[in-house]
Amino acid sequence: MSTFFSDWYYLSIRNIKQIWRPALALIPSMFIPIFFFVVNSQSFSAVSKVPGFPNVSYKQFIAPVAIFTAIFFSAGNAGIELVQDISNGYLKKLLIMPINRLAIILGKLTEVAVQSVLQGAIVLVLLLAVGVPINTGFLGILAMFAMLILFAMAWSCIGMIAALRTQNARLVQSMFILVFPFLYLTTSQMPRELLPDTFRTIATYNPVTSIVEGVRALVLDGWGNPAIVQGFLVAAILFVVMVSLTVASFQKTLK
Amino acid sequence: MIIEVKDLAKTYPGGVEAVRGVTFDVKEGEFFGFLGPNGAGKTTTMNMLVNLVKKTSGSIKIDGFDLEHNASEIYKRIGFAMQEIGLDETATAREMLQLHGRLYHLPVSRIEEQIAKLLKLVELEKVADRYASTYSGGMRRRLDLALSLIHEPRVLFLDEPTQGLDPHARQLIWNHLRDLNKQGMTVFLTTHFMEEAETLCERIAIMDKGQIVTRGTVPELLERHEAKTLEEVFLKTTGSNLGEEEVNLNASDPYVRGRG
Repeated sequence: MSTFFSDWYYLSIRNIKQIWRPALALIPSMFIPIFFFVVNSQSFSAVSKVPGFPNVSYKQFIAPVAIFTAIFFSAGNAGIELVQDISNGYLKKLLIMPINRLAIILGKLTEVAVQSVLQGAIVLVLLLAVGVPINTGFLGILAMFAMLILFAMAWSCIGMIAALRTQNARLVQSMFILVFPFLYLTTSQMPRELLPDTFRTIATYNPVTSIVEGVRALVLDGWGNPAIVQGFLVAAILFVVMVSLTVASFQKTLK
Repeated sequence: MIIEVKDLAKTYPGGVEAVRGVTFDVKEGEFFGFLGPNGAGKTTTMNMLVNLVKKTSGSIKIDGFDLEHNASEIYKRIGFAMQEIGLDETATAREMLQLHGRLYHLPVSRIEEQIAKLLKLVELEKVADRYASTYSGGMRRRLDLALSLIHEPRVLFLDEPTQGLDPHARQLIWNHLRDLNKQGMTVFLTTHFMEEAETLCERIAIMDKGQIVTRGTVPELLERHEAKTLEEVFLKTTGSNLGEEEVNLNASDPYVRGRG
């Protein structure tokens, strides 16, 4: 194993251990998606009878959003952990080691990927238990996680950039509020056709819409839906752009 | 010479000249002290020596390697215990030492040997599997020292290593540092404690307002400045009271941009 890959591996292991240290920290990011799924699927079940709504229950319609929300919230932790490493001086220790600095960022992204899979899988099991079918089967589940992991890593970069540029823990922690406009100004709660004009326009330009619709297509439709390819494409572009910006911030901030 | 510094300067964004053309060298195996009032430029100088702060001009060579072109070779040869104790609060001492050993690319057998040796050296054997967040200030400082020694560096940089410690813990750290130096490790120390510098250091440089104002062995400094104590030399050369705070403390912090 070259030193770059071994650095990446050991830094990832260190970060992954932080996921459950302390274990109680996992609860909020699990509670929120489940809470919203239960409350919304019960409160708005009648919405599925509105003309123009797809031929599925509201529970099925918002099920992909529950997995998405779990991943959305967990991805924010990378920035918080990074700002902690900066403020307590641990990052400086890493910077004076003979390691590739890119491995520090990749180690964080790997942690995000692992946490996304863990939390997403727990929510998925709950959804399957309450009778939400996945129309594309096991391969569809793998595709859904691939798309969500790419997106989660891209989203985690927002927190990491904020951490690197401001070194302010309060600001980085408050970045989670971005989840709400980015998630709710999409088709997460309502099909595009039923959104008011203004919201429909915003949703069209919100890149998160493509991910939501891609995941939803995998859950409710089938492989033929072009939203799947579009979702992957947007997730991949966001990943490349955001990781590049994070690496640039990393280089710029530390000199 | 194991450390060679020539005309080293650092000007922060905003025009604050933290270090203004500093030249000095440190012999192999030497215990070298770097003193100065707060804001004198000591920490900025040290951060430039370990490449945490980019120099504006000048040159730095460590163990024959130019920092600008061979930073990774230098990283293999240096250890740094910072003023701020950077620990991973969610890890145990043993886990941190293992991780650092791996990041220095040491063979597993050597890592385990080093961990056993260092835990004994810093007297943390019994608490090695406890999370760092449960450690006292003295234990944290000792763990930080152990982390900086995992790869047996040729040069150890110490920035105020006994800051905030009680006399017992301070004495313990001093003993460790003396032992390491006797074994041939070069030690570069910044400190506020005159007693610490006098006890440990073979040669001392005193810095003020970004420049070295005097340097030499303790007897040389006492004679040159007609002083009875190192503290008197310090006061004569810097005009500062010990512990006096200056406003540009953060100037040396690479994470604080655009501030003096």
